[in-house]
Amino acid sequence: MLTKKHPQKWNSPTVKKPINLIVGGYGSGKSEVSVNLARHLVLDETFEARPISILDLDIVNPYFRSREASAELEKLGILPINPEGAQFYADLPIILPQIRGAIQSAQGTLICDVGGDDVGARVLSSLATSFDEATYDMYLVLNANRPFTSDLAGCLKTISEIEFSSRLKFTGIISNTHLMDDTNEDVVMQGISLSEAVCKKTGVELLFVSAEQTILDKINFETIDIPVLPLNRSLLKPWE
Amino acid sequence: MTKVLMKGNEAIAEAAIKAGANNYFCYPITPQTEVAEYLAKRMPEVGGVFLQGESELAVANMIFGAAATGKRVFTTSSSPGISLMQEAISYMAGAELPCVIVNIMRGGPGLGGILPAQSDYFQSVKGGGHGDYRLLVLAPSSVQEAVDLMILSFDLADKYRNPVMMIGDGMIGQMMEPVEFPDKIESPDLPPKDWAITGAKGRKPQVVRSLFLDPYKLENSSWHLHEKYELMKKNEVRFEKYKVTDKNEIIIISYGTMARICQTAIDAVEAEGISVGLFRPISLFPFPQDEIYAEAIKKNIKEVLVIEMSTGQMVEDVERAVVGKKKVSFFGRTGGVVPSPEEVITQIKDMIRKKSKSKKKA
Repeated sequence: MLTKKHPQKWNSPTVKKPINLIVGGYGSGKSEVSVNLARHLVLDETFEARPISILDLDIVNPYFRSREASAELEKLGILPINPEGAQFYADLPIILPQIRGAIQSAQGTLICDVGGDDVGARVLSSLATSFDEATYDMYLVLNANRPFTSDLAGCLKTISEIEFSSRLKFTGIISNTHLMDDTNEDVVMQGISLSEAVCKKTGVELLFVSAEQTILDKINFETIDIPVLPLNRSLLKPWE
Repeated sequence: MTKVLMKGNEAIAEAAIKAGANNYFCYPITPQTEVAEYLAKRMPEVGGVFLQGESELAVANMIFGAAATGKRVFTTSSSPGISLMQEAISYMAGAELPCVIVNIMRGGPGLGGILPAQSDYFQSVKGGGHGDYRLLVLAPSSVQEAVDLMILSFDLADKYRNPVMMIGDGMIGQMMEPVEFPDKIESPDLPPKDWAITGAKGRKPQVVRSLFLDPYKLENSSWHLHEKYELMKKNEVRFEKYKVTDKNEIIIISYGTMARICQTAIDAVEAEGISVGLFRPISLFPFPQDEIYAEAIKKNIKEVLVIEMSTGQMVEDVERAVVGKKKVSFFGRTGGVVPSPEEVITQIKDMIRKKSKSKKKA
């Protein structure tokens, strides 16, 4: 579906359910994907399920979390939901009551950036009763250059570990294969192949492929029928 | 080998395995815990041992015991955990046991916070434990360098029969970067571990200890250790220079990821016609004292600027190196607050402005 708002050579992604859980292995790029997906949806005039909120549910990773992009997202009209006060900086295994409340009473579309691996996804287990099939999608962010998700067997193992600890089922894959600044079009294409193999094996959909715009420009998407999310990196290292 | 994307903590763990260190003891602490998580998965695959101790005290003494068998052993922790290990570290230095200790530093003192800091410099290079001893201390600034230095650390530990400490601020442990591991690791010729406790079959029993009740024997042992540290000073100084030229007005001395922030600032002021060089110590003990002196006394250098994620610790070693020949200034943020390139740029520009003002007065 090419929209007038996005005159690029690829299809834009969209989401279908009120709650969108962005889950995956450490370093797959969940936070960057969450931030960019929220930004994309808020700027997409055809997207109606508003307001759009982003919830940082990462309780295992102390650095480089989506909460660091909150100010920027708020300016665009996205509602960031983060722990308040000193808890903002913590990595304690707790869900504050206001966070739980925000999930249960969320309006419009909620993008949840969940912590890495089965350990990070465990947080979902205590919230699982708040979700039913009609209200949530859970997406695996896949980076084929990460040691434990570099092949089909590794991906399937990660999927089963996360599904076990979260007590929820994946409904889709986001192909976000990258090597930071060393990413090139071959890296992205290899990632798409692996994501497609995982989708075929598990029967879930490939929601979109994401990469930085400069790399996407080098790929011919006329032959690839997958929606594309160009990334503008928000979670940078201090020297970048 | 192809590049993979790894978190610093994971890369450090894998590097140790590549270096043949299959004995790992640890107690989890942020921002270092991924080393333990990774090795919990990985050690069984290589037939190694990973044991989570009941505390850092236990862990450090497990390292002490395992190192006495001559096997390659290591632990990783973060600031408060490293404090708890100091007694055993002193014992290992006294007993001349090789081991590798990684400190992924967080803000202190006390329990502090979990964000990146470099405030354990004194503890690392001046000896956090008791007695006349030194650690060989290395400080990487990227995930790839953490891999390379981790592998080197095991060789240096074996070469000098001394604990080696690698320190990185929290960012080194937490950030993701592409890394490459060597396919084959070639260690230099290392001395045989004929001191190791391996069972006394067919030979006299050996004892590994740091206890010398006879003061003359203890003094001998201390001077013997001292000789090793002098040898390290001669052979193991490591550093890197960035944009150091005879046009530099200022030379920045900074280590770890802080040095990368300085590089960004140096590039930015260069575009405005201000020439600044960076000297990055990689070995913190031995400290590149003579090399810093040589740079600082150059005619073009007006001032030496030390930048750390602390309230100022390495600056004392820089002052000692520069011996009053040039003014040494300091800028730092701490407690988990990381200086931005903009703050470094402001520091540089303020220094240049003050220098030109004082010139006019003269």
